[in-house]
Amino acid sequence: MARAIRQIKKEAPRQDEEQAKAVAEIVKELAENREAIMKTIGILKGLHDMKVLDAAHALLEQRTEVGAIALQQFNQPGMHNIIKNGMGAVGFLGALQPDQLNTILDGVGHGLKRLSKTGEKGEKQTIWRMRKRLRSPEIRAAMTTMVDFMEGMGEVFLQNGENKKG
Amino acid sequence: MSETTFSVEINGKTYPAEPGQTILDVAKSQDMFIPSICYHPNLGTIQTCDTCFVNAGGQMVRACSTKVEPGMSIDTLSSTVKEAQYEATSRILQNHELYCTVCDNNNGNCTVHNTVEYMGIEHQKYPFEAKPYPPDNSHPFYRYEPDQCILCGRCVEACQDLQVNETLTIDWNREVPRVIWDNDVPIDQSSCVSCGHCVNVCPCNALMDKSMLGEAGFLTGIPPKILAPMIDLTKEVEPGYKEIFTISEVEASMRKSKIKRTKTVCTYCGVGCSFEVWTKDREILKIQPMEEAPVNGISTCVKGKWGWDFVNSEERLTKPLIRQGEEFVEATWEEALDLIALRLGGIKEEHGPGSIGYIASSKCSNEENFLFQKFARSIMGSNHVDNCSRYCQSPATAGLLRTVGLGGDSGTIKDIASAELVIVVGANPAESHPVLATRVKRAHKLHGQKLVVADIREHELAQRADVFIHPKPSSDLIWINALTKYILDQEWEDRQFIESRVNCYDEFAKSLEKFTLEYAEEKTDLTKAELIKVATMIHESKSTCILWAMGVTQHTGATDTSTAISNLLLITGNYGRTGTGAYPLRGHNNVQGACDFGTMPSWFPGYEPVQDPKVRERYEKAWGVSLPEEPGFNNHQMVEGIHDGKLKALYLFGEEMAIVDSNMNHVHSAFEKLDFFVVQDIFFSRTAQFADVVLPAAPSLEKDGTFVNTERRIQRFHKVFEPLGDSKPDWEIFQELANRFGANWNYKHPSEIMDEAASLAPLFAGVSYERLEGWNSLVWPVSADGKDSPLLYTDKFAFADGKAKLVPVDWTPPVFAGEEYDLHLNNGRLLEHFHEGNMTYKSEGLTHKVPNPWLEVSLQLAKERNLEDGALVGLTSPYGHVEVRVLVTDRVQGNELYLPMNSRDDNEAVNMLTSSYHDLITHTPSYKEMGVKMEVIESEGERPLPKENHRFGNRIPQISVRVEEKWKREDFTPIQELFEIRGDEHGESNQAN
Repeated sequence: MARAIRQIKKEAPRQDEEQAKAVAEIVKELAENREAIMKTIGILKGLHDMKVLDAAHALLEQRTEVGAIALQQFNQPGMHNIIKNGMGAVGFLGALQPDQLNTILDGVGHGLKRLSKTGEKGEKQTIWRMRKRLRSPEIRAAMTTMVDFMEGMGEVFLQNGENKKG
Repeated sequence: MSETTFSVEINGKTYPAEPGQTILDVAKSQDMFIPSICYHPNLGTIQTCDTCFVNAGGQMVRACSTKVEPGMSIDTLSSTVKEAQYEATSRILQNHELYCTVCDNNNGNCTVHNTVEYMGIEHQKYPFEAKPYPPDNSHPFYRYEPDQCILCGRCVEACQDLQVNETLTIDWNREVPRVIWDNDVPIDQSSCVSCGHCVNVCPCNALMDKSMLGEAGFLTGIPPKILAPMIDLTKEVEPGYKEIFTISEVEASMRKSKIKRTKTVCTYCGVGCSFEVWTKDREILKIQPMEEAPVNGISTCVKGKWGWDFVNSEERLTKPLIRQGEEFVEATWEEALDLIALRLGGIKEEHGPGSIGYIASSKCSNEENFLFQKFARSIMGSNHVDNCSRYCQSPATAGLLRTVGLGGDSGTIKDIASAELVIVVGANPAESHPVLATRVKRAHKLHGQKLVVADIREHELAQRADVFIHPKPSSDLIWINALTKYILDQEWEDRQFIESRVNCYDEFAKSLEKFTLEYAEEKTDLTKAELIKVATMIHESKSTCILWAMGVTQHTGATDTSTAISNLLLITGNYGRTGTGAYPLRGHNNVQGACDFGTMPSWFPGYEPVQDPKVRERYEKAWGVSLPEEPGFNNHQMVEGIHDGKLKALYLFGEEMAIVDSNMNHVHSAFEKLDFFVVQDIFFSRTAQFADVVLPAAPSLEKDGTFVNTERRIQRFHKVFEPLGDSKPDWEIFQELANRFGANWNYKHPSEIMDEAASLAPLFAGVSYERLEGWNSLVWPVSADGKDSPLLYTDKFAFADGKAKLVPVDWTPPVFAGEEYDLHLNNGRLLEHFHEGNMTYKSEGLTHKVPNPWLEVSLQLAKERNLEDGALVGLTSPYGHVEVRVLVTDRVQGNELYLPMNSRDDNEAVNMLTSSYHDLITHTPSYKEMGVKMEVIESEGERPLPKENHRFGNRIPQISVRVEEKWKREDFTPIQELFEIRGDEHGESNQAN
């Protein structure tokens, strides 16, 4: 004979037991990862000494406020320009052909070397000598490249002008 | 390739196409991308988004609505086409702010995101414009954010034409159109049934599950104070969408490590919807149905979509409990299982194996039911094993076994959808099988399907029916037989079908003699005209399905009425063809599977009789034991067995028998007499209160397994969470207990149990977990090679000679409670809750929608007894008494009352009033046959149903989203006018707008 009953005797809240179990699990993990933990403690200590933790804590506590302020600062035309320019620069680098750029950079590097030598010696050359040197294949190659470069740049300038008008 | 296949040219290449296909269909079949934001395969063509414009034979046309023609030349790539698509997409982005990385819908499946990204759109042409409407957060489960709404109308299409609840429309005539609910009321107060269709199909984040908000993304929990400037900043500095998408894609893929998506099968009704559960740790983020789901596609109902809070309920049982004196005390599994083994072993020893009963669960898996009957039969030597189909569909099974040979639906939901005529008898699918009902409602609304409903209550399908007949309670057999006779008298029967495929015709025809229209008119209160009308509709229909449920089966003559339905289908040749057949709608997720896998007193798995020595021998050989020869007790006989002192102990899992069995008082007093009672459940149920040992089980989300739905479809569900606390999957509990009796079972995974069942039961010969991977499913019978059988009886019926049997049946008068019990008590389910509500009342949102049951009283009776909404009345039957508050409604008529079964309170539970009378053949209780008398306790009070319930809403029926009204707006310029093809398909476009 079993009457319907609703009373359930739950084991008294075994908080201490559960806590002990949790602590045991934590200690086990600590022991198994001794080296990593010790290093982490060292880092934390350093950060604490430098008061970095205090700052981080305050930042976290006030994250919404701080976030709003930070975003307000970000949301300024200057910052927009920085971000846009940053992305533009990344885009520019992406558009360059590495081979071409290498050649140009090699050339620039080599030129700089010569430049510095000239600078060291502090020599001056006559106009006549310089005019003669313009004929050399090296100078001519560099000049052609520069002129081509300027032509390309000009094309884009003109095109953008058109677009703005249109 | 069929003969009608022709070829079309797309972008210069030739592809096969079929008549009726649209350009978009052909492109999709070739994995070719055409933007199509408003198109969804489960919804069809909506034509609102205009992103799918292509050039077909020199015309700019929508790919989603233009049918291909032989030799058609289509261009999807030229600049004109691209520009037209860009224009359309820009119009969409005017309505939708792209802040994907901080959007909870950025999960890789956002249609707007993916389309814009795929099209390579860098900038939007028209700036985003917020709409002048605040978000609607009134509904407990989902929100609408007009600012993000692109007005594609998918939600409206889903609500109007797939779910067919007809709540959502787009008001195209206001200055800024938006989606509205009913006549523009807050969502929570509309006719919305919370089915979730609109949220499931929304291509962006306008309609979202509230459980996702602030939870799905890494950055989406950001407070609005920071979020708004963050969005501004992103928009200010964005070089183009490409870079933004790169970040959002990275974030979306990061989410994959945090959000788990697991396929599961719903554990509410027998329709068998499957979907993905999205979870984060133990938190359920949302239910996401998928097109691939074989039964439901993207359809869900309120319970399947949102009713899962019970899994993480604090009320879950997490430790075994043992009764000690007047209280239960927590115990370890060892203590609990040792005690059960000791007590059951002792009782078996002392009183014999027949002194213990085993009650199985239609909520649990096939594997668990298989193992439970194996435990009862092979370890405990008893066939006293049964499940809750005894409370519902056993009479339908028996009626079908008699006439056509297999106890299941004869086809699938697709057959129901494609029938020319659907007849629903004593069933309320719109509330009890909601997703199945959507297919009927859709076919009826869009495809000319005819609908006849026979019921004593005017439920939703009855309201929608072409013909609604209201027979006298318990008189269904009479009018069905009268229809059958009338059809024979008119010589409308399918002569050829009867002669070639059916036995016993002459005897049957003779048995109908007394069922004249006059006799039916007298006994059923239906008119001759009504009966002739229905008979004529059957005659004129080329394919008829009959659906029935508890309104037929919970009667004293239930098996016979089910038989009469099958007879009617047989004489009209409505078996074995697409769109025909008998569909007893199964109530629980796995009531079909529990029966299929053998928790029945007289059947082994796969409906092989325990009395058949050959079958028994097969099982005895496999299990190495000798098995009991005689059928055991069913549920009803077990209760009587306890009262008679034959049954001393009961082991029950996953069944709230103390509330759902009829005549509760009688059942409770039986439980009190037991020497030993084990109850295994996920909650401390009403039944558990009588137990000696309560075992904590794990629900479907915490284990693997399979269910069988009403179609006979076997589907797999997968483990989402680890079992809560110390709870365990039921199959593991059975195994551990069996091993205490020396069984030495060693099942590692439910797949091994299925393999064993498949090796023993020929009906499931080809079933294996490998064949059920992903969204694959198998509809039994499944032959060894894995071929399944969605449509039964195409060649032969399941009898030795392959012929069906017409079985003469006569009417059985219903239970008569006595003159003083002057009101008829009808009872059943509600949409929002499942059964007694042990699971669904754990959901705050569901409880907000329906906090408690109520008594439906007709307008006439309310007037006569001076009752109004909220009055408290007492109902008394010869078996008990309940007190409930009144809701006056025209859903019921005259002296007929309706009391939903969704209560856990003894003082409201309908089974306090029902009797132990039962179907003569299957012992299914006659729940639907009771008279009560009513007394008024309080003449007024709070209405038991809050205004935030769909029943008080005001539906706005229309076909689709009425895109024509959008096209008529003055500010709308048709895309094809802007981008005319001028001979040169690569020509310049006119961008003047």
